[in-house]
Amino acid sequence: MRYFLACIVLLCGATTASAQDYTAQRNRMVDRQILRRGVEDEAVLRAMRAVPRHRFVPERYAPNAYEDRPLPIGYGQTISQPYIVAYMTELIRPRPGQRVLEVGAGSGYQAAVLAEIVDSVFTIEIVPELAEAVAGRFTALGYDKVTVKQADGYHGWAEHAPFDAIVVTAAAEHVPPPLIEQLKEGGWMIIPVGSPFFTQTLMLIEKKDGEVRTRNLIPVRFVPFTRGN
Amino acid sequence: MNTRNAPTRATSRLPISVGVLSVAVIAFELGLIQVLSTVQWYHFVYMVISVALLGFGAGGTLLALARSWMLRRFDALVPSLMIAGGASMAGVVALSQTPVARFDSYLLFVESAQVWALLLTYLLFFIPFFLCALAIGLVFVQRVEQIGRYYFANLVGSGLGGLTALVLLWLVTPERLPALTGLMAVAAGLLIVPRRARGRFLLAATASTALALVFLVRPPDPALSPYKSLSRTLTLPDAQIVLERSSPYGLAQVVSAPALRFAPGLSLTYGREIPVQQAMFNNGNWLGPITTWTRRDTTHLLDYTTTALPYVLQSRASVLVLNAGTGEDVAHAAARRVPRIVAVEPHGTVLDFLQHDLVGPTDSLFHHEAVSIHRLEPRTYLAADTARYDVITLPAVGAFGGTIGLSALQEQYLLTKEGFRAMWDRLTPRGAVSITVWMDFLYRHTLKVLATLAEVLDEVGVGDPSDHLAAARSWGAITFVLKKSPLTPAEIQNIRQFCALRSFDPLLLPGLARDERHRFNQMQDDQFFTYVDLLLSPDRATLYAAYDFAIEPATDNRPYFAQFLRWKMLPRLADQFGNQTMPFLEIGYLIVGVTLLQIVLAALLLIVVPLFRLGWRGPGKTWTLVYFGGLGLGYLFVEIVLIQRFTLYLGHPLYATAAVIATMLVCSGAGSYASERLTVDRATLRRAAGAVALFILVYAGVLTPLLKAGIALPLPLKAAFAFVLIAPPAFVMGMPFPLGLRYLGEKSERQVPWAWGINGCLSVVSTALAALLAVEGGFVMVMLLAAAAYAMVALVQARRW
Repeated sequence: MRYFLACIVLLCGATTASAQDYTAQRNRMVDRQILRRGVEDEAVLRAMRAVPRHRFVPERYAPNAYEDRPLPIGYGQTISQPYIVAYMTELIRPRPGQRVLEVGAGSGYQAAVLAEIVDSVFTIEIVPELAEAVAGRFTALGYDKVTVKQADGYHGWAEHAPFDAIVVTAAAEHVPPPLIEQLKEGGWMIIPVGSPFFTQTLMLIEKKDGEVRTRNLIPVRFVPFTRGN
Repeated sequence: MNTRNAPTRATSRLPISVGVLSVAVIAFELGLIQVLSTVQWYHFVYMVISVALLGFGAGGTLLALARSWMLRRFDALVPSLMIAGGASMAGVVALSQTPVARFDSYLLFVESAQVWALLLTYLLFFIPFFLCALAIGLVFVQRVEQIGRYYFANLVGSGLGGLTALVLLWLVTPERLPALTGLMAVAAGLLIVPRRARGRFLLAATASTALALVFLVRPPDPALSPYKSLSRTLTLPDAQIVLERSSPYGLAQVVSAPALRFAPGLSLTYGREIPVQQAMFNNGNWLGPITTWTRRDTTHLLDYTTTALPYVLQSRASVLVLNAGTGEDVAHAAARRVPRIVAVEPHGTVLDFLQHDLVGPTDSLFHHEAVSIHRLEPRTYLAADTARYDVITLPAVGAFGGTIGLSALQEQYLLTKEGFRAMWDRLTPRGAVSITVWMDFLYRHTLKVLATLAEVLDEVGVGDPSDHLAAARSWGAITFVLKKSPLTPAEIQNIRQFCALRSFDPLLLPGLARDERHRFNQMQDDQFFTYVDLLLSPDRATLYAAYDFAIEPATDNRPYFAQFLRWKMLPRLADQFGNQTMPFLEIGYLIVGVTLLQIVLAALLLIVVPLFRLGWRGPGKTWTLVYFGGLGLGYLFVEIVLIQRFTLYLGHPLYATAAVIATMLVCSGAGSYASERLTVDRATLRRAAGAVALFILVYAGVLTPLLKAGIALPLPLKAAFAFVLIAPPAFVMGMPFPLGLRYLGEKSERQVPWAWGINGCLSVVSTALAALLAVEGGFVMVMLLAAAAYAMVALVQARRW
């Protein structure tokens, strides 16, 4: 009986982590999953330590929020693995004073990380339910640098263009021409290309000297996929 | 009371009842595959069904444990089992969709609760197979002297069950099929209810019938996983299903959404609007976009992809589009004003949609005067066709961003060396085969395609393969062009201009400088170029041997192009990428391995458990195990190989499969019936199994050339030829099982149910094992192993009875 009660106590303890626990988990996440894999930009690391990821996942996954993997958020969407968010953020070289467009708000986590660094983030989500949820989440968490719009991200956000950087977080089969158009000369776009739930390749696009060049980076899946050596 | 010698009036209808039940079981199995395919990954469907089919083995196990008790209640038990089996057929699909049992294969690696849901799903689908198998097994045991006619009823019923499912799937949606088969099973039970006991069965039969009728009228709605392509598309604003048709090919649906645009691999220089398209899905999986095309179009989106490469070389007078799908390549050729376009597509529903229902959006593309359509497997078309073409195109290989190996076990005869050789033979002197491959990392599809093209060029004896190959690479895809004559300087220049204009990079081109390969699009690493060069050199075998994945070309004997997993490389890959990553590299083949492991362990358990009752020692145990196990393995090995060979020969996968299974089972049934006239002794058993082994050995050598010779015959003659080839071995293959059971009935009656169970277990094991063996060693090896299994059956000796 005593053993049984101890199990219940342990179980309850595991499922009701305090805010302090989450901060500790977040720091561990940055140290073990992000820093060790080579993300070094101080601003990005600070942002990753600051954003409460557990508030961006469905409640039942909150205990798993800082694990080294993406998680389902419903509507066939996922919140990316923490390392991928950090990696994508570092690649677009965010700085204060910049204006960034995000296509595919999803849970809103990526936009929140960006908002910790740049001046303004414009994020578009096509699924109405997700757009509504993410807008409410930003209000509740006080992210006033982020503007949300429910629309088809294909068209970008011409009223606020051009953008210093564009982050596409929804997997795409093509790069929408309006997004290339709305990217500043010298700007960077990061986009995962491929099938949505399992296999995507991160691609970095640079607009420079009137030409658009691409660089295929790492494949991203449920778990880290970088060579050990 | 000796129940065996006391047939009642009701049990005189027993063979019919067994036949009807067998129809129901097989039709249920096929219906279940269709239902589950719409909600899960196909490989998980395969796994779930395989485990559920162990119900056949489990029926034998229980029967072996409680034989006397069951035989004493034979008259009541058999109809009860059939009626309960019918009720469970009707009910399990609905139960599997309840929140507790609902399993989502897409979440298996995220939520541990899914493992329990999977186990519950196994259990639920196991029940109907177990109940029905128990009923059939009980009949076999009780009527072992007349096993020939009962096995005949079982086999013929099973054969007809396949055909029945095929017909029903044209008439009703798959969700209704379990209810219909449930009614059949209930009817099978009612046929043999003893007159005096009808009152007692009335309530059970009425309840089962009512349950089946309820689910027939209001079938359960299997909820599609939110992670299937269709679900995701339906989350787009204002998305709706505008067209839907169920057939044995699956549930085909067309979705319209204002935000649906499809232009994979499009050049970043494309500055215009990408048109909104409808898209087609089959069983919830993406099939392709519906081409929005008008007769006025002179350009096409594909002109802004590497797919345009064969048209860049020079103007084209004729194009053959293989596996035309939803018609993108056909529209591309039509927009380029190619005067003769031949499209080959085996999927009947897709063609029906395009030729009848979607005439508006496609501006009657499939009725265009330049376009002719052939509803056939492309390889069958190539074998029978005599025309020559300037361009032969294939659908893009792999998946955008890479795959995780879900097609590993899919036979792809178009992507074998023989397939490319057949295309080569159909080219005009200036003609070219064009194939686009989605980029993947780790590199697999791209390298295997190139390896295949290089080996084909070796085989046809061209001097330098590099003179006949061109390839252009975008940020997401590579298009290879295999040209019959060497590339001319003008063509090389055209390709360079095309690449510069579209921000593509030439990958293969005579006289290409290394720096030209990544001007616009950089790769993850430059090793890819080293691999490409190595594949075009005489040293390509060294790369095959050293590479982490299987990139040797596929052949007709091992037509698994998309199978890249090398078991021996697994530890190395796990070391490099971590254990958790492994399932996402090549999950399909791994699932087959896991399925086999589960089945083998369960089968072992089911085979061993009766020995606690029958005794571990004692006469004839080894004989029973080897004889009936060997038959279970051998029969299915042969059936699986014949389905493959005849699919390629007949050209219609669905009908070929149905025809081969039905012919085999009915002819085997006839063999079983005829076996009743034979005296049972060791010599007869040896002769029957030996004859089968001989047949298989001969077929392993001559079947492929025979089919090749007959492939151009008109369809009725082809069908007759197929029957002539399948019927004789199938007839003989129907004999060893009933003969063996009769023999066993005389020698050791108690072992009969055990034998039935062993045969059931090994039959299930053999399907998964055959898949693995075909991948590793090829179909010829599977045939040889089938012959070995029958030889073993012929030669096994019982030391003493």
